[in-house]
Amino acid sequence: MTEAVRLDAVSKVYGGGQSAVAALREVSVGIPRGTFTAVMGPSGSGKSTFLHCAAGLDVPSSGSVRLGGADLTGMDENALTELRRRRVGFVFQAFNLVPGLTVTENITLPLKLAGARVDRAWLDEVVHRVGLGRRTDHRPAQLSGGQQQRVALARALVTRPEVVFGDEPTGALDTMTARDVLTLLREAVSALGQTVVMVTHDPVAASYADTVLFLADGRIVDAMTGPTAEKVAERMTRLGAWKR
Amino acid sequence: MISFALKTLRHRKAGFAGAFVALLCAAALVTACGMLLETGLRGGVTPERYAGAPVIVAGDQYVRQAKESGKQKAKLLSERRWIPASLVERIKGIPGVTKVVTEVSFPYAGFTAHGWESAALTPFTLAAGRAPKAADEVVVDARHADQKIPGYQVVGVTREALPSQDTIFFSTGEARRLAGHGGFVTAIGVWPRVDVTVQGALVYTGDERGAVEFPEAESSRVKLVSLGGALGGTSLLVAILVVVGTFALSMQQRRREIAMLRAVGAMPRQVRKLIGGEALLISVVAGLLGSGAGILLGLWLRTRFVALGAMPANLRLVVSPFPAIVAVVTTLVAAWVAARVSARRTARIRPVEALGETAMTVSRLPRVRLVAGLLALAGGVVLTVVLSSLSTEAASSPVTMLTALVWTTAVALLGPAIARAATALPLRAPGVGGYLARKSLRAGTERLASVIVPLTLMTAMTCTILFVQTTMGHAAQSEVNAGVRADHVLAPGASAAAVRTVPGVRAVTEVLRTSVRIDLEKYEVQAVTPDGLDRTMDLGVVAGSLNGFGDTSAAISRTAAERLDAGLGDRVDLVLGDGTPATVRIAAIYARGLGFGDLTLSRGLVAGHVDDPRGTVLVSGGEREALRRLPGVTVLDQAGAAQAGTANAEVTYVAMGLIIAFCAIAVVNTLAMSTLARSRELALLRVVGTTRRQVARMLRTETLTAIALAVAIGTAISLVTLAGFSRGMTGSVLPYAPPLTYLAVVAAVAGLALAATAIPARLALRPRPADALGARE
Repeated sequence: MTEAVRLDAVSKVYGGGQSAVAALREVSVGIPRGTFTAVMGPSGSGKSTFLHCAAGLDVPSSGSVRLGGADLTGMDENALTELRRRRVGFVFQAFNLVPGLTVTENITLPLKLAGARVDRAWLDEVVHRVGLGRRTDHRPAQLSGGQQQRVALARALVTRPEVVFGDEPTGALDTMTARDVLTLLREAVSALGQTVVMVTHDPVAASYADTVLFLADGRIVDAMTGPTAEKVAERMTRLGAWKR
Repeated sequence: MISFALKTLRHRKAGFAGAFVALLCAAALVTACGMLLETGLRGGVTPERYAGAPVIVAGDQYVRQAKESGKQKAKLLSERRWIPASLVERIKGIPGVTKVVTEVSFPYAGFTAHGWESAALTPFTLAAGRAPKAADEVVVDARHADQKIPGYQVVGVTREALPSQDTIFFSTGEARRLAGHGGFVTAIGVWPRVDVTVQGALVYTGDERGAVEFPEAESSRVKLVSLGGALGGTSLLVAILVVVGTFALSMQQRRREIAMLRAVGAMPRQVRKLIGGEALLISVVAGLLGSGAGILLGLWLRTRFVALGAMPANLRLVVSPFPAIVAVVTTLVAAWVAARVSARRTARIRPVEALGETAMTVSRLPRVRLVAGLLALAGGVVLTVVLSSLSTEAASSPVTMLTALVWTTAVALLGPAIARAATALPLRAPGVGGYLARKSLRAGTERLASVIVPLTLMTAMTCTILFVQTTMGHAAQSEVNAGVRADHVLAPGASAAAVRTVPGVRAVTEVLRTSVRIDLEKYEVQAVTPDGLDRTMDLGVVAGSLNGFGDTSAAISRTAAERLDAGLGDRVDLVLGDGTPATVRIAAIYARGLGFGDLTLSRGLVAGHVDDPRGTVLVSGGEREALRRLPGVTVLDQAGAAQAGTANAEVTYVAMGLIIAFCAIAVVNTLAMSTLARSRELALLRVVGTTRRQVARMLRTETLTAIALAVAIGTAISLVTLAGFSRGMTGSVLPYAPPLTYLAVVAAVAGLALAATAIPARLALRPRPADALGARE
């Protein structure tokens, strides 16, 4: 099984001198292609930084990141943007969409930015899969929070990226809506073979993943395969205890 | 990207309203200024009196001189140039000429007076009576059929009357005697329309005849060119400052959206393109609408200027598409510059910001901006120093505005640093509102910075515009007050000879105001009768003496002497108001140039070379009542003696008032944008239990802080600028600002800012807080 993302001894230090804070310390991990990985950890554990570095949103202080065979080390901002555009999909917690654009326009935005052609058949399938068939001409303000996250998911999938990164994608949703979105993510992995990496603090969300990585103090301290909400919650409780 | 920009625009109408309004006003101002400028350049006057003569031969109304560079330069004369009557014979000899008519023209008791021989120029025809033959006979125009002319007998009334002038005809001989230019005439009419060339005079046909007929329209055109240029330039700079400010503010409010675009793969270049596209779209619409409004504004300005006497009613306003085109292009450029400047900042927004819960703000002042700010500061210093060495109003006025604007630009660039420094001061307002205000000011220094810019601009511009005038007026008035020794000032028209016979009168001085050109530069002149001058005025002579002052003598003000680099005993070649050259010797140098003029000449030298030789009369001794009983005498207040620059000031107020209004719109704009953008924050405060009153108080305290800061900086800017101006123009670094006027300016700025905060705040607080929170950004 090949790896979609590979981090080698990645460290990230914010600030300098006396006030330097290490958010990631020598993290090495590979995310296999076609898997659903959840990243968990208490606040300040470095899970957001992990995501930023893995997705090419931020540049590590040391170490190397490979994304679908491309080495991110030494890439400038333009090269990183190009890489994000072609190989990465994003689903954020909120404010995912451009308010002035319709659902379809939002979904095809990355293609438009890249100057790429829209594959109609694939677009229709993605739209159909996330269940937005009849709402393609609506604007974000006319959609519920859950529907907005579906649009964001469709936008992430439409470029057939190497990896879809989610930053608390269900953080702003109620339990029922969150479950629908998580099911869609799961299907993207199972049915389409998509690789998904999701940062979350919700054990239930993490239970949809194949693997859960636990971060604490900028290090991966544990990994769990075949997670259930109970096991994840129990592991988190102990993580929290270690922090004291 | 343009279609994307269009969609964003449609959706975010409110966010772009600020920039739109600013651009619209800018386009309107530029169009109006363009109309003034174009009227100045190309405007004409339809001839009235000369309408009946196809060709008019008259003097060249310009003084021309070849500069060292070989370029021919021409400046308008302040008085009419007369031509020798002997030219008539030569014109008669030109083949094809069938008829020649001469004219003399001079003011008489409110009329424009001529000899009857020139009636054919219009032509005037008699409706009743007969032509004047004897020296005491006159003919008046149709409007004045019942008018009595003291000392003359009205023997006829014409059928016609001219729209812009009242006409009276004397007999040919009497007219020449009264006009006083022996052997000279004002114009010669030639029939039919043939090619005429005459040595020593120019030939005018068509509307050119109007320019000879109404010399004041020519001088008003010259003024319109400089006024339109200065006003247009100033409003352009103000527009760029304001538009950059509003754009930057709207970008600040869209950080998250732009960060998200960056995250999903928009290159910084694409973001810049998007912003540029939005700017271009708004500016095209705003430019088109604004230039339409500008034409109305231009028409309104014209009526104001005509009412103030700065522009003759018969000077046609040129309405052409050029000013509107220039305005649209200018608006596009201003918007593009603004977009580039704000896009510089947005390109630095890191995509990571889209992932965070709260929008982060950059707190460090970017280096480029810091450098630009320091450069602007240095520019302000240089301009202030330059300004302090400028001693002519024509040079000083535009530089003054530029100086104030450059200082304000420095403040705009360094705004965030200033705001941070100011909020770090350990000051606190009482109560929860005060506490919240202090916290939010400290957290949002960038927002505070964008609010203080238009407030500073408004304070600085208003104070500068108003107090430039008061400084000049005050300086001139105090020199007059100190220098006029006469007990009475009589209005033009009094006979000096009659006044001398009044018992108790010790000295009488006739004062004529005109201007001369030395090396094409204009110098204001008072021409006086030297006899007994020391009893009626004290010029503050610092070198030389006025004893033995004659027709070839001159006294010169210290500033003018410096400008000419001339000293006592030097000979100065000058061109009198009507273009006649003269040479005078400097007999004295005096201090009170603002109150009495750059040059003092003898009335004997000047009187024959002005359109209206009547001047004010200064009288020492004698009873006011006895003087008043003399025929044709009006006794003025002492204050009336200082006429320098007062009519001019009103024109400046009207023109520059537009700039102030523009700044005021920018203030309202910025504060409303900044307050409305905080709906969510205000709703949140309400949800956690802050009362409406406390929220309102918080906003008020924040705005008051901004006002205090902006008024302090704006006042400082205008003080420094005015000190430079005052040093150059009056010699004293202390400008004169009436305290009440200043307080009124501060009150107006504060009132406007508070209202512009309170009204949007009400709107923002109106929905139930929970609903407002639910609403998405």
